Amino acid sequence: MNGATLADLALLVPELILVGMALVLILVARRIQQTPVAAVGTVLAALLAAFCSGRTWSGGAETAFGGMITVDGYSQFFKVLIAATLALAALLSVRSIDREQVPRAEYHVLLLLASTGMMLAVSALDLLTLYLGLELMTICSYILVGITVERPTSNEAAIKYFLLASFASALLLYGISLTYGVTGATDFAAIASALVKEGPGGNPLLFVAIGLVTVGIAFKIAAVPLHAWAPDAYQGAIAPVAAFLAAGSKAAGLAALGRVGLVAFGSEADVLSAVLLGLAALSILVGSVVALSQTDMKRLLAYSSISHAGYALLGLIAGTPEGVSAMMTYAFFYVFMTLGIFGVVIALGERGESLDGYRGLAAQRPGTAALLLLFLLSLTGIPPTAGFVAKFVVILSAVRAGYVTLAVLAVACSVVSAFIYMRVAVLMYMREPQDAAPSRFPVAVSAALGVAALVTLIGGISPGSLTPWAVSP
Amino acid sequence: MIDYPVLTVTTFLPLVGAAAILLVGGERLARWIALATTLATLAVSTPLYWHFDKGSSALQFVESRDWIPAWNIGYGMGVDGISLPFIFLAALLSVLCVGASWTAIQSRVREFYAALLVAETAMIGLFVASNLFLFFVFWELIVIPIFLLIGVWGGPGRVYAAVKFLLFTLAGSVLMLVGIISIHHICGTLDFKELALTTSLQPEHQAWLFAAFLAAFAVKVPMFPVHTWLPNAHTEAPTAGSVILAGILLKMGAYGFLRISLPILPDAVQRFLMPMLVVSVVAIVYGAYVTLVQKDMKRLIAFSSVSHMGFVTLGIFTLNQRGVEGAILQMINHGIISAALFLCVGMIYERTHTREIKDYGGVGKPAPVYSTLLALFCLAAAGFPGLNSFVGEFLIIGGAFEAEAWLGAMAIWGVALGTTYVVWLYYRVVMGETNPGLKGLRLELNAREVATLAPLALLALSLGLHPESVLSYLRAPVAQLLAAGVTP
Repeated sequence: MNGATLADLALLVPELILVGMALVLILVARRIQQTPVAAVGTVLAALLAAFCSGRTWSGGAETAFGGMITVDGYSQFFKVLIAATLALAALLSVRSIDREQVPRAEYHVLLLLASTGMMLAVSALDLLTLYLGLELMTICSYILVGITVERPTSNEAAIKYFLLASFASALLLYGISLTYGVTGATDFAAIASALVKEGPGGNPLLFVAIGLVTVGIAFKIAAVPLHAWAPDAYQGAIAPVAAFLAAGSKAAGLAALGRVGLVAFGSEADVLSAVLLGLAALSILVGSVVALSQTDMKRLLAYSSISHAGYALLGLIAGTPEGVSAMMTYAFFYVFMTLGIFGVVIALGERGESLDGYRGLAAQRPGTAALLLLFLLSLTGIPPTAGFVAKFVVILSAVRAGYVTLAVLAVACSVVSAFIYMRVAVLMYMREPQDAAPSRFPVAVSAALGVAALVTLIGGISPGSLTPWAVSP
Repeated sequence: MIDYPVLTVTTFLPLVGAAAILLVGGERLARWIALATTLATLAVSTPLYWHFDKGSSALQFVESRDWIPAWNIGYGMGVDGISLPFIFLAALLSVLCVGASWTAIQSRVREFYAALLVAETAMIGLFVASNLFLFFVFWELIVIPIFLLIGVWGGPGRVYAAVKFLLFTLAGSVLMLVGIISIHHICGTLDFKELALTTSLQPEHQAWLFAAFLAAFAVKVPMFPVHTWLPNAHTEAPTAGSVILAGILLKMGAYGFLRISLPILPDAVQRFLMPMLVVSVVAIVYGAYVTLVQKDMKRLIAFSSVSHMGFVTLGIFTLNQRGVEGAILQMINHGIISAALFLCVGMIYERTHTREIKDYGGVGKPAPVYSTLLALFCLAAAGFPGLNSFVGEFLIIGGAFEAEAWLGAMAIWGVALGTTYVVWLYYRVVMGETNPGLKGLRLELNAREVATLAPLALLALSLGLHPESVLSYLRAPVAQLLAAGVTP
């Protein structure tokens, strides 16, 4: 393998921009007196990275660093999505950082580095690069979850997250080493050709290897039974961090699963489908049912994100390029509606954290209530919102792959989750307010909410607008 | 001819009104914008009736545009003789809803009218959609405004009623979604016209698809035994909500049978014919008996809807020209009459704040105009000759006798019970000595209220005397529907 050339680095411009901004922020950390300064830097870096991701998107696929990294439509799609997540999360953090006295620069540095990890993971063509990217993301996330050092719940959440995530990383590594043992390779193309040579079901160890790799990545998207960290981490972390994890970690994990499944383990689609089928069905079921009993908004959203991970996996079960692009559509719209609903939670401050805080919101702030209703409807999957389109494409791909029973289970659970989401709507619209009306939202938060709402609406009205971009690897 | 996309304009004009209400402040202004929008919608829909070719069974005023080319789903609208009367009904009832809510709604007025207008868009859109995807979008779109109308502006049990309504309808419609997705997978298209001609739906496919769509339609109609959301929703909803529910929402399910089940799944319709007929008759008779014992006026009218909609599904599944024409006519009739009855109850409730029948009595003396109009609507509901329901029920029963004699006999039993409960209701509310609790209240209607009820009274009379004005629209499309292969 040769050393990195300038051409290799040129393909990594989006990641380099994020790392560069992170370094700048560390250097000037002591001088940053006002939160918006750091936020503006992060948002600028994210926008620039998104722009460059679009620019380097030549249409064809290019590889760098001896085939460890690729730049193709798939990676750029997710890079733009991750950059958007980063920008919106930074905007949403503005007030929370001041209120919780979070170190400003460090917080944004961690967001930037976690996003860099995500971008590396979605462009990885090698299990080791993939692992490094996901670990960079996860390690930054531990700190982000525990960044409010004064709060015991935050510390507890960070430790739980750390322990469970280390366990999952070990599983992933073990899966990678088994894969290497069976195929003698860690890069996707070589694994695929070795598997083809071996023939389907050739080596029982392979089943274990595929299972471990899948499960290790599935932890990042909080699929059942690897979901236990999410409710605690979301509840313990400050809301913007929970939003960032719910959107970014899920997008990166899904992207990694999609590429590994389709490119590396494509010839063992049966094994992979079996594992994913179990993860998807359990996630949808557990996520919807357990959310019923939640009274904390962030916990409720954690379980909701678990069930959404299940829906997104429906696209991957088919093991077809078409299914993967359905998952991409789901991930894209999911990110915006999740950031949107977390945005409302964040905007309402303390009041937004518990379900009771939503009582009578519609009477006090009709506009905010309408926005929240839009995101709730989208999460439920009711037209004309993006959530409906997302649900439509993944269920279509499950039906095409012949999993009609699973499709029925999925929609049945969506009725359960409708009950959960509409419970919030009932509180907002049909109960009397208990608390004083919330104060005005910061401009940054309003802007982020506006972007999320716009994508949620346009995605629903013009469902085909994303299709040209959602191209599987 | 018309040189603008009349269906799109009619459908989305109310949505524009809703946006205007939310953007422009002021409660007084909201009322006037809502009234202007609903009147304008009614006005822009009128060219449809003039330029409509009654001899043709094809969709007319067709609009079709690319929407989601990747999935071969287009934006398609069109009307035939079956859907056209419902557009008029939806547009008319929306105007009346604004009129009925003028003073009754005093809190969060802007949101109320915005929700009402969104509901109007969904109602009209459903009847003009010419593909399953758009149909489903409007099918779901109506749920949210109605949920809010019941839950925010409803009676004491409103939250329970709203949530129950939402869960019942969603549980039905998600199964329909799987059905739609399966059809898309099997046929590659969702266009009604193309689906009616397709041969790729095997009988076993059809059976499952029929069941999936039945889940959605049966809840909306509502058919026995999934009708239990209806009494709660109708009773707790504000008058406008009850009017939309009874007038249009219940017709959506029956319209679904006509638009989807009959033409697209003919084999399954044959297979499930007998269970559907039996369930319809059970709804007629059971619904009527339950109606008899109700003590609350709104609940009484709500349960009578179960019985009346039983007539509609009975007529549809007789699968003969008379029965199906009667069913569609009866859908319109029920839309007019039950909307009128809910308006009547709402108007008097606004004065007395009670819906218990025992709190009334002797309303006739202090409120002669009200009592006369109520008498007209009650007689119409009972199927009195010369009024609209008579023709519809007559055709349905004729169709039922044509299909199976015992069905006709059961239906006549239902008519007898129907007469009993409306006459008894009228007797208890209007006749006799004036209830002491009503003393000192101004029970008589004001001009706005008379103007709200008058169009419906005129319609009930004119359709009773000249049913051909609707039936002439139905003849060709119904004949085509039955000729396409569902005739037994």
